[in-house]
Amino acid sequence: MSTRFVNMLVAAVTLATGIAGPALAQGSDSSAPSLAARVAALETRITRLEDANQIERVQRTYGYFVDKGLWTPLSELFSDDATLEIGGRGVFVGRKRVLEYMQTAFGTDGVKEGRIQNHMQFQQITDIAPDGLHGQARSRAFVMAGGWGLPLYENDYVKENGVWKISKLKGPFTMYTAWEGWHKSATPNTRPDSFMPPPDLPPSVVYLTYPSYYIIPFHYAHPVTGAPWKVGAGDAGAQPFAPPAVPR
Amino acid sequence: MSRKLVMLTLLAALALPLGASAQGLSDVEAKVGELRKRVALLKDQEAIENLQAAYGFYFDKMLWGEVSDLFTARGSFEYGQRGVYIGKERIRKALLLFGAEGPEAGKLNNHMQLQPVIHVAEDGRSAKARWRGMVQLARPHASGQWGEGVYENEYVKEGGVWKIARLHFYVTAFVDYDLGFTKSANPAEGPSALFPPDQPPTEIYRSFPGVYIPPFHYPHPVTGKPITFPQPADTVLGRKLP
Repeated sequence: MSTRFVNMLVAAVTLATGIAGPALAQGSDSSAPSLAARVAALETRITRLEDANQIERVQRTYGYFVDKGLWTPLSELFSDDATLEIGGRGVFVGRKRVLEYMQTAFGTDGVKEGRIQNHMQFQQITDIAPDGLHGQARSRAFVMAGGWGLPLYENDYVKENGVWKISKLKGPFTMYTAWEGWHKSATPNTRPDSFMPPPDLPPSVVYLTYPSYYIIPFHYAHPVTGAPWKVGAGDAGAQPFAPPAVPR
Repeated sequence: MSRKLVMLTLLAALALPLGASAQGLSDVEAKVGELRKRVALLKDQEAIENLQAAYGFYFDKMLWGEVSDLFTARGSFEYGQRGVYIGKERIRKALLLFGAEGPEAGKLNNHMQLQPVIHVAEDGRSAKARWRGMVQLARPHASGQWGEGVYENEYVKEGGVWKIARLHFYVTAFVDYDLGFTKSANPAEGPSALFPPDQPPTEIYRSFPGVYIPPFHYPHPVTGKPITFPQPADTVLGRKLP
């Protein structure tokens, strides 16, 4: 977030120092934006930073909830008609199904004695749509449990009545392994029938996890060249793993 | 600096006729005042993020003087079940329980500061934050541990400078690197007999395989209600679900 803040502050200072100039010239240049318009533009930019901030809080809080099995508050992070798709399990539609998925698959609310299920939320790249009501983020979870896991996220968020919520959580797995290490074992991707409950819709994409690979499309253009991500045939590949794969 | 600039700009703007009505100008003035406040809160949040990151970098290398100087004069430090140390000098001494002052060859003491959820108070004078702590401890060929936990910290701004007022690290787990959580669990350290804390632990819990949910300082980000939950059962402490 700090780069964002720095950019924002530079923008704020630039804009603030710029206000007096055009304002002075306003009498002779009717095309210059009015002071009020410049202030409104500044407010929009500040609001976007607050939006990105809040989306980060929501996603990080999602992680803190998973850690401790707080499924009910977790489901309340989602909009009414949100979708959830984790690993290869297929798509669950609606906040109630999000809760059913979590409680059926992982048990009632509250982490159980002797369990650790940390889903640490890192490396978020957040973007807000020009309408200020929709957001997208790519991020990763680093899972530290009995073994290791690496889901990625390409999530959508929606601002309803001034409140940011998750509208689409899409978390394809990069890799799951036993504790002994990713050089020694690899757990296959989940499937719609891996565990209960069944999904509402089939997986949006079928892919294999490490040692195979799949690049979930980037929601954003290249930050330097500006080129949008083009989905290519080489974005997924299959690779057998020499040691026997271990069951999940 | 931006505050000053905005103020000067505002004064300059107010001194000009602009062809706008007095009402229009006072609306703009009010709006600029509001925006100044919002920018200040974002800057405060950034300062706190940097402050806690600095804590981690100093802690990694056992720079206890630098660590304790991040706290207010009456700041408090609580790590796992070690109890609470109050005041800069007490904190500096307590940190010696984690090793001698300064970096040491053959010792890894990484305390990564990650996943912050920061809330600055509306008045911009205090703040609270939840953080993720990942810990890597090692002695070559002797021991290696992964640790993990959650911070719930408080900060205050004194003389324009953000400081740690209360640091509380809730240890989730420490585990042997080679064995992992399925085969190993190292209990959290209790209060030191050599250098006892000023107060006992504020909350009694067992780290892994025990489970404990550190309370959230903030309301649910969507519902706005307090985040409430029963603490999970613990057979050793005899804690039962209600």
